[in-house]
Amino acid sequence: MNGKDNIEEFLRGHKPQVKDDPTFLLETRRRMKQVDGIKAEVDRQHVQSRMALIITLTIGIAIGAIAVFIGYICPARPDTENAGIFASVLLFVTAWKQYFFILLAALSVSLAILLSKTSRA
Amino acid sequence: MTQEQFIDLIRTEQEPLRRFLLGLCSGNASMADDIAQDALVRAYVASGSFLGLSKFSTWLFRIAYNCFVDHYRKSALDTVSDEICEAQNVLSQDATDDAFRYQQLYQALDRIPEKERAAIVLHYFEDYDIKEIASIMQIPSGTVKYLLSTGRNHLKTYLSL
Repeated sequence: MNGKDNIEEFLRGHKPQVKDDPTFLLETRRRMKQVDGIKAEVDRQHVQSRMALIITLTIGIAIGAIAVFIGYICPARPDTENAGIFASVLLFVTAWKQYFFILLAALSVSLAILLSKTSRA
Repeated sequence: MTQEQFIDLIRTEQEPLRRFLLGLCSGNASMADDIAQDALVRAYVASGSFLGLSKFSTWLFRIAYNCFVDHYRKSALDTVSDEICEAQNVLSQDATDDAFRYQQLYQALDRIPEKERAAIVLHYFEDYDIKEIASIMQIPSGTVKYLLSTGRNHLKTYLSL
């Protein structure tokens, strides 16, 4: 019998023997319950942050839409003669307001998606 | 997976898992059980990601091995603890002689590198084949064969066989 057989025989004949421990599964169950508690709390916080995000986004879009609507029905008439550089900026914004709104909406949606991903991570 | 479903799954696996970790921890039963529970909790948390591509036991042992590696790196098991010397896990008819052999085995296991120990324990104590060991330790099969060979040689020297 060579050395390899000797060591193999020795190892196979000396498997570690674990004591039967009824508290092992009880302790495991207790730790799993703790994990479940933490998971539930984390899930609750995720739901809360997502709800807050949705509410903020909805309010933002609603306010934006109302502002645009008001802008359409009551257009601002800036005092172009006395307002100087401010007047030309206002005129520019008034002329391109649809595009500004689209850009703002796109930015809000991107920001919301980005925030929701960050909070999930 | 619910807690009860998971408990049912691990009921049959807990003994081999504890034995595997007992070998890895060189006979330190309290450390082995602590790592086993840590591994089971991690497995429970990750149970949703178990796709059934490998056997449940292989997946569980992989998690347990990773837990052991984490623990090993943290605590650096560099000395044979008193608990090992007490050979507290021996249940034998010929207590004195067998306890001495177990004590020798645990001391020898403690002296070999952790990867060799894992390969030896999985192959000789848990009867896993090379492919399964490679899957558990996430290393190539050739490396497992090398680890088994060097591990055997080291143990032969330390056990004077």
